[in-house]
Amino acid sequence: MVYSIGVQNQNTRSLSSVSFGRKGTDKKSECENKDVLMYDEKKKHPISTSVKIQTDKLVKAFTKYPEKGLKGSKNANFYEFLTMGTVPYLAGSAMMIAVFNLASKFFDTPAAVNASKLGKKMGLGVLFYGIGKTLSKKLIETPVNLRYEIDVNLPYEKVIHELPEQGNTDNLVAKEYHKAYESVDFPRWDLFYNNKSFGPDRNSYYKKVGKRMGIDDEDLDHADQKVKPLIREKVIKTKLFSTLSSYFWAATGVGIAMQKPWENLVINPVKRIKNYQNYKQVAQAAKEEGIKIAKYDNFAKDFGKRFIQSSKEFLNNKSKSLKIAGRSLFGLAVGMTLLGNFSTLFDFNKSRGAKAHASSSLIDESKEKVVC
Amino acid sequence: MTNVLNSIIANQSINKSGKQNNNAAFVYTSDGRIKPMKEKGRLLPSRIFGSPIEYAKDLKKDIVSIGKAANGKANDHELGRINDLAMKLGSFALASYLFVKNPLKLSKAMEFVGFGTFFASMSLWPKLAIQAPLRARTGVDIHQKYIDSQGRKKMLFQDPQYVLTDLYSREDLDRIGKKLNVSENIPDRDNFIKQRAQKTALQGNTLWMLTAGPATPLMSALICNRLEKPIGKAIEKHALISSERAMQNGGYQSLWEQIKQTISMKMFDRYLQKNADKTLDEKMISSIAARLGLRANSATVQSAIKEELSALKNNVRLDESFIRNALRGRIEDAVFNSLSSQQRVLLNDAIRNNSIEEVADVLSKTIGSSKREQMKLTKEITQILRKAKASLEVPKISYVKGQLKTLYSSINDFAAGKGVLDRYIDARVGDKAGTYIANQWGRVGDKLIKSLNLSGKELKAVSNGNIDIITEKLAALASNDAEYDKVIKQLMKLIGNYERTTDSNFVSNVKDKAKSVCSSAGKDLRTNGFVKLADRISSNVQKGTVENIININTAERISGAQSSFYRLLQSLDVFRRANNGSLERQIASALGEKGIAADSATLQRLVKACQDLVLNATTTDYVEKLKTAGFNLSEIEYKTIMKILFDSDADTTIAESLSRTLGADKVDDVMKGFNSYRKEFMSKIANWQNSMTPELSRRTVDGVTNAANAVERNNLAGKPIRSLIQDVAKQTYNSQKWLKIFGGAMLALTAITLIAGLAIGRKGKIEKQVEQESKVNG
Repeated sequence: MVYSIGVQNQNTRSLSSVSFGRKGTDKKSECENKDVLMYDEKKKHPISTSVKIQTDKLVKAFTKYPEKGLKGSKNANFYEFLTMGTVPYLAGSAMMIAVFNLASKFFDTPAAVNASKLGKKMGLGVLFYGIGKTLSKKLIETPVNLRYEIDVNLPYEKVIHELPEQGNTDNLVAKEYHKAYESVDFPRWDLFYNNKSFGPDRNSYYKKVGKRMGIDDEDLDHADQKVKPLIREKVIKTKLFSTLSSYFWAATGVGIAMQKPWENLVINPVKRIKNYQNYKQVAQAAKEEGIKIAKYDNFAKDFGKRFIQSSKEFLNNKSKSLKIAGRSLFGLAVGMTLLGNFSTLFDFNKSRGAKAHASSSLIDESKEKVVC
Repeated sequence: MTNVLNSIIANQSINKSGKQNNNAAFVYTSDGRIKPMKEKGRLLPSRIFGSPIEYAKDLKKDIVSIGKAANGKANDHELGRINDLAMKLGSFALASYLFVKNPLKLSKAMEFVGFGTFFASMSLWPKLAIQAPLRARTGVDIHQKYIDSQGRKKMLFQDPQYVLTDLYSREDLDRIGKKLNVSENIPDRDNFIKQRAQKTALQGNTLWMLTAGPATPLMSALICNRLEKPIGKAIEKHALISSERAMQNGGYQSLWEQIKQTISMKMFDRYLQKNADKTLDEKMISSIAARLGLRANSATVQSAIKEELSALKNNVRLDESFIRNALRGRIEDAVFNSLSSQQRVLLNDAIRNNSIEEVADVLSKTIGSSKREQMKLTKEITQILRKAKASLEVPKISYVKGQLKTLYSSINDFAAGKGVLDRYIDARVGDKAGTYIANQWGRVGDKLIKSLNLSGKELKAVSNGNIDIITEKLAALASNDAEYDKVIKQLMKLIGNYERTTDSNFVSNVKDKAKSVCSSAGKDLRTNGFVKLADRISSNVQKGTVENIININTAERISGAQSSFYRLLQSLDVFRRANNGSLERQIASALGEKGIAADSATLQRLVKACQDLVLNATTTDYVEKLKTAGFNLSEIEYKTIMKILFDSDADTTIAESLSRTLGADKVDDVMKGFNSYRKEFMSKIANWQNSMTPELSRRTVDGVTNAANAVERNNLAGKPIRSLIQDVAKQTYNSQKWLKIFGGAMLALTAITLIAGLAIGRKGKIEKQVEQESKVNG
């Protein structure tokens, strides 16, 4: 076997066999594809499924995968490397918050107050960055899923049979949570074939998507061949615009966090409890005197109010230049999301599907094909 | 496998005519079969810093990739790169927003510096802390890049299960093998080296993942911290040079145009259009005045515009037709026609007097039957006539639009000229952070703090206002000839620079430009009929014009800073004299001349009073002469120490020190300014007869004719040296504390990473076993 570049090592060969189904013959192989699409599970329990996957990945990102990586395990793989990406993300966020907050407690009062104001904004900035980046993707991914049944985050459980290491000859099995569409070059089309979650037929999923895309029934005899290029196109566009928009939403989040109303937010729970106790005493005294005083806002309410005030300050600042700047940033985020929805949900050139279909038969069918 | 093949087929680009092109992944053989093309992948040279041309090329590719992805055609590699680009775009957008949000130039610049250093740190940390040491020790570049047959740049060791180590050349393998100390005789040596390289890279990349999180913000924050001062200095220098250039003819015109266009006539026109139906009442007058006053950055202009706009109202005079029209429906024309001759005379007089009340009185008496009814009618007629008159007097905005536009045009021209001048003044003596004067003062404080040699604990105590340590340290500084001279030299250099930047040339530039800008605006406004406003901007008669205010403010800023610099010299000199005993001797001698033989305790108390005064005192400390700076002084004691502190003939130490450090030829110039400051201080603040109580501050007492006002006094007193030291100590302590925590964290992280790196690439049990077996097998 000759590859265009490079060679795959032994591990890759065994893995590729696992990933891509049965070996040449119809005999049942030990390396049978055991990957399971988590469609039903996600549909029934979307939150718990997501929590289960994220927890598994997070725990392993901080424990098992670094251990394997540092030991130089021959079973370490790219999935583990990518999953470990959470470590710098979270550790970096924590350090960013620390850089702006940790030293201020050593400062004298006025400097500490000023540092704390900035520290709070920076801390919230980190938080809003993460929230903005994560949630905004849903604004494009969800409509695509609802409209076409293409869930770019649809997970599947992958079972890996690892190679024995350092004398351990047990049947090492590892579980990974991938996404069926995580690769646009190699989507896991195979997981959708004969999948009873979508219907009784081999092509039920592809027919369903095809119908959602407005393709006539008579054109769906070979639905998979017809629809796969179109799905790929949708997935690419969804990924493009959700990525582009997410960073503008993240920036918008930081922009909102940088506004004045956050400066006096009391985050420390001990201080909040003390403040509440003081408030109760004042409220009691006021009641006895027959004076009305404002209600005490709990953290959620206080936070919500400040968020609204900050958003207003961000979008409708008294300074004209800041107003333009805030609205421009917000406009970029909203615009990119709308463009993403527009681009993924509307197809003005339906013949492109046919073109894409044609592109898969570029090889001269009349000629014999042998991989040499 | 099928998928891999499908992908190769899908990506291949043989055109329909069957001809292959360069991007094809396979070719047809002569017998019509297909086979993969010869691989074109190759390793890229390893570099810590990429070239800008490469970055530009990659950026171009990424932009093309976005276009492809928007059409649904990109691949995983391209989408991955788009993610990186999007992160940078988002961060750039955020930096741009924060650039607008921050008021100071330095803060604005730091937003982009922060953006740059964050991404630079993200890229540099793994290179410097992991990649470079590992490459030096093991020969393996864990971030080795290669370019594949499709021209995509990728990391060689990104996926541990798919490493294209066959791209290594013979030389590469030999080099890595030698560095990894791989035995020459083991079987399948090349593969063994490849596996070791792969393992090394996996370990290195894992270490990268674990350390990048804390390292990136730390490194970025530390770089920003170190860059803040040089960038501040560069901005200051740029502001000085560019504002100087803008004062020249060509530069002036260009900046003038630029500022003028920041708010165009169109915008003001839109504002007028929006309010066209409103009347020019008090509210509108205030709104327009505020708008134009803000444009000219002058409260004086704002209040003068109010006066001018009030004058735009018509002064409607009463006449009979106006009265008849206004009262029609209430009093018929017949009443006017049937007035008796006496009533006619009275009405005509009332109209001539332009008095609504008199008109109402005549008419009510004509038609009212009873006294009560007459009173009621007078009130009613007065109200009707007033309302009618007011409706004619207060014009609609649309009616005076032309005049308002003319006014705006004149003010805009003036504002642009003043804007150029403001920038010139602000860059030098502006009352805000980041200006030359503020930075120079900061530099003086830094030098002083350094020369005091404060330990960490002392720094904290001083930052909390511990005056004893300041006194003690200043005394120590004054007792050390070399250190004292060094500080004086450094301070004189800074003071010299300041004086050169704010010398008479600067003052006359301000004066000339203020005159030309204000006179020109005055002439323009007078021509257009806005005389009052013109007089408030420039006048030969009136005081408090904008032109005067510009000159006075500039002079005050210069003198305030100068006094602070001189006070610093004065303070050091007093401590020096106290230290070498000359101050005590001078006080004893001065008191002796008055026939008082002071004991040692009194002398020490007075020396202490002198030190405390220069260190602490503000102008209010001189209000109650006998309790100056909290000391109980007699009149003679007060007069004596003031003479010694502020009488230039009484000391020579500062001149001696300056002579040693600057050279004898330069002493006279400095002493001239210094003595002039002290004399002025003596006459305006310290003089016994000069009462400091505000209500009496300007009275003439015993020949002191120019007692100062509060602003002059404050400028003259300058900043107390204690508050300078305390402020700078606070800043230094906070900065050092921060640096200690996060610099320490960075050092620790770097040390841990480097030590952990030493464990990477070592032979594991299996590798050792393989080598052992190869030795045994011989």
